[in-house]
Amino acid sequence: MPPEALNAVDVRKTYRLRRGPPVEALSGVSMTVRAGERVALLGRNGAGKTTFLRIAATLLRPTSGSVEVFGHEVSREPDAVRPMIAVVPQEGKPFFHLTPREQVYTYLRARGLDRATAHARTSEAIGEMELDEVADRLSITLSGGQRQRTMVATVIATGAPLLFLDEPTIGMDPFARRGVWESLRALTRRGSTILLTTHYLDEAEALSDRLYIVERGRVLIAGTAETLKQQVGGTLRVSISDGATMGETFASFGSAVLDGTTLHVIVDPKRLLEILNVAVKAQRTATVGPVTLEEAFLRTVGRSIDED
Amino acid sequence: MALPFALPNFRGAASFSATEARVQLHEGIAVFTSMITQFVVLIFVWVLARSILPVAILGAIIFSMFTLGQRVLNEAAYVRVDHKLNELYLASPLTPESYFLGIAVGVLLAYLGPILILVAIAVLWVAFTPLLAVELVATSLAVWLFSSSMGYVLSTLFRDMRAIWSYASILYNLFGVLPPVFYPVGLFPTALRPIALVMPPSAAAGLLQDALRPGVLSSSDVVLAAVALAVESLVMFGVALLWARRTAQER
Repeated sequence: MPPEALNAVDVRKTYRLRRGPPVEALSGVSMTVRAGERVALLGRNGAGKTTFLRIAATLLRPTSGSVEVFGHEVSREPDAVRPMIAVVPQEGKPFFHLTPREQVYTYLRARGLDRATAHARTSEAIGEMELDEVADRLSITLSGGQRQRTMVATVIATGAPLLFLDEPTIGMDPFARRGVWESLRALTRRGSTILLTTHYLDEAEALSDRLYIVERGRVLIAGTAETLKQQVGGTLRVSISDGATMGETFASFGSAVLDGTTLHVIVDPKRLLEILNVAVKAQRTATVGPVTLEEAFLRTVGRSIDED
Repeated sequence: MALPFALPNFRGAASFSATEARVQLHEGIAVFTSMITQFVVLIFVWVLARSILPVAILGAIIFSMFTLGQRVLNEAAYVRVDHKLNELYLASPLTPESYFLGIAVGVLLAYLGPILILVAIAVLWVAFTPLLAVELVATSLAVWLFSSSMGYVLSTLFRDMRAIWSYASILYNLFGVLPPVFYPVGLFPTALRPIALVMPPSAAAGLLQDALRPGVLSSSDVVLAAVALAVESLVMFGVALLWARRTAQER
């Protein structure tokens, strides 16, 4: 197998609507995912993450450009690509009238696994997703988070070399999310490759080796969470409440971004005391914390990830 | 020698059809309520025109096979629109053709029980000949193939389940109830009979009625109905296979 699990070059997708002008969902996305990596596409709703994932997963044809999965072009050779991938679709739900155990097992059988292997992998995946207690209950009786874990269990049980996960932890509680992250890390340690989309900044940071920030159908920046944060220009964030009218005063300390009425300023630790003094004199409350991926996102995109 | 076209690959179809049958059978009551219309019609015929009961029983079997297509339509659309499970299965070694056939065969397996009850009633009420028995099996399968193929193709055209329910109901009742499926083809206006004989359910019913009472149809009508049913079923099946592959990768 080639070292690159996925190689995308200048992928564009324009949706032609029956009414209204065409919508350009992807405007030239290029990226590479190496075998064994966990890579996240991070972006706001509607940024183009799912469109790219669906193209890479052979479910949607690009308008132009190419995506290769382990050396096979997805539009020309979908039948060669499909045995090597597995997909958790966005908002996908298991069959309501199957139990999680039945869902995983029957899916593995449909993929061509023999009974013994399918049984063994089903038990393993159910255990990894901590679904043992509900494994034999119909999915219609499960919570949203349990259904989502069933979907993830279904896909990780395949052992496919490349997994596409579209918002894999949506609807899960914090403990379940961390459990899924740990399982995905274990999968890549065993050789699988993962491309996931998320709009959870903590998930992108905790889970991905590298991430791509996507906005309006373009990749704005790519790198590790650390390198993205370093590009912000400092290591500390000072958040000044009611700082909307004081942008100019604080701009000299570093890059400043207004989020509601709070002004976030990225500063070098050497100038921390200085900026705090200015804030105190102006009778403003200032909170100090480390620079997060949120700052990197805000600075790169110009908007919060939750903003529509 | 290589063929100029790729033959469909049905890898995984048997396993997926077992999954589908299992999904359907979890809602066992739906399997039996699928027979309500047929039994209501049979009761009316029993009360009002008992002499045509054999015709109505054979028609009920054909109608049941035909409405399996409506269930394929609803199931394929539901799995795609509400569950997005088509993406899970299509981005896998299961071929698009197997995905379509898996749903169609799964629905057939799940709903076969009540249809066999109708067959048992037919054995009691209808004077079966070997020809009629063979024709019943052949026409039933042809109607199922046509209807399930049409159902799958139509399922890909909708994005809203409410629209699907309305249109599916109109379509399947139009094809299955209005033409002479439950009643003798001789009662259908002569001028419109060719139309009835090219519609799969009434073509099948017409052939069965002719096998039951030879001479109901002219020999040219028999040929018309038989050719129409065979060609339409195979063509629609071919279209569904191609359509399944085409829609597996949206444009």
